[in-house]
Amino acid sequence: MKTTKRGDSPNCHFAAKPSTFSQYKTLLAKDLRQEFRTREMLTSMGIYALLVIIVYGAALALTANGLDIMKMGGGLLWVLIVFTSLLGLGRSFAHEKDQGCMEGILLVPLDRSVIFLAKTTANVLFMLAVEVIAVPLFYFFFMTGQPVAPTLPAIVAPLAVGTIGMAGIGTMLSTITMNTRAKDVMLAVLFIPLIYPLLYACVTATTAAIAGTEFWTDYFVMPLVLACGYDVVMLLVCWVLYDFVVSA
Amino acid sequence: MMSGPDSPAILACGLTKAFGTRKALDRVSFELPEGAFLSIFGPNGAGKTTLLRVLSTLVRPTGGKASLCGIDLTEEPDKARGLVGMISHQSMLYPDLTAEENLLLYAELYGVSDPKARVGELLEAVGLAHRRLDAVRTFSRGMTQRVSIARALVHDPRVVFLDEPYSGLDPHAIEIFDELIESTRADRTFVMVSHDLAKGFAMCTHALVLARGRVVSFAPKDELDFDDFAQLYRETVGMGVA
Repeated sequence: MKTTKRGDSPNCHFAAKPSTFSQYKTLLAKDLRQEFRTREMLTSMGIYALLVIIVYGAALALTANGLDIMKMGGGLLWVLIVFTSLLGLGRSFAHEKDQGCMEGILLVPLDRSVIFLAKTTANVLFMLAVEVIAVPLFYFFFMTGQPVAPTLPAIVAPLAVGTIGMAGIGTMLSTITMNTRAKDVMLAVLFIPLIYPLLYACVTATTAAIAGTEFWTDYFVMPLVLACGYDVVMLLVCWVLYDFVVSA
Repeated sequence: MMSGPDSPAILACGLTKAFGTRKALDRVSFELPEGAFLSIFGPNGAGKTTLLRVLSTLVRPTGGKASLCGIDLTEEPDKARGLVGMISHQSMLYPDLTAEENLLLYAELYGVSDPKARVGELLEAVGLAHRRLDAVRTFSRGMTQRVSIARALVHDPRVVFLDEPYSGLDPHAIEIFDELIESTRADRTFVMVSHDLAKGFAMCTHALVLARGRVVSFAPKDELDFDDFAQLYRETVGMGVA
């Protein structure tokens, strides 16, 4: 067996410590590569979203004539997104816990918040991928034939802002609950109250975009600004506290 | 605290770690020279793994000081992390990534200048170059542990921690693992937690016995007689856990 003596490898020279951005890219690439290989999160979230739509179909089948689906659309869509996200976020650290991978990463000299940022970015991408399929399906099943407001394309904004915020908060909470018993329940119990202001703002803006409103500033712009502010504050808090959370 | 050629590889002074009111480590102090091999023994719950986790910066101590090669663990944890490699009973490898992808991930995070060449060299050294493109989940426990050795050495660490590395390995895999550890010992300091007294004692240059978070015995092997040490260990196990 070849002896691997310290310092005798011509290939083990260290350039300057890798930049934070390069470590971020490496961690993000790892998460994406792993997901595209296993498709665990995307498949489970996608199937779950489809099942929720089917349940909506059954639940609303008999009462559809008495309901204004355009005014309920925003709320229904966000119920779908929140529960689908919970499923994905709960699984996002499963690989890190298996085989002690998280400890392997924590042994590397890197800023802990880079782990948070990379995982949040990966979760945003996975959630958006599911939304790209679920939202048109939702439209197809419940809104075709309904009078659509010309502002409908504007739902992209609350969807994007809400997804980013939920992914950030969910990543943080998923790290906290990773080693707890009944982690899925714990994640939901912590996640829903924390995202409530964001959820409320996004539901209001999404409903305004779907149904159209004459008070556009009050029902779309203001909630969206509030949601953006909430995202910024919460993401900064998560960024700052992440080192403490993973070290505790 | 300055890093230098005369700094001990590990210096622990009154190291304490408490979880709530329970002290997992209670004023642990010892000094280990560079190039030594320390075996840590003790009953379950004695604080062996906690000591390794504190020394590898995974857990912050609640009291006392520790340094690796002169670098204070609480003041400069990032700098200390660059010196540490860890092999545990968990592989710290992503099962769905290939052996090469796993090692490249760590090499890039550590900032190895030519990651591909380094990974190729390490896979060659652990005898798995021909399986480099296979997912780790397809490997046997022994093969996974060999990739784990390569992972721990990818940044050429000065101190390597081994946390019960033999658990789950069959005798042949243990033989291969021993050969690999032997081939990487030169110029490195090793700290191993083991329940196998005979094996741990045979490999070490220093032995430490922990019980209830406290150091019961710490001495160079030259000063110890195996039978007396085994007797001490049996008495220590009888002391139970913290």
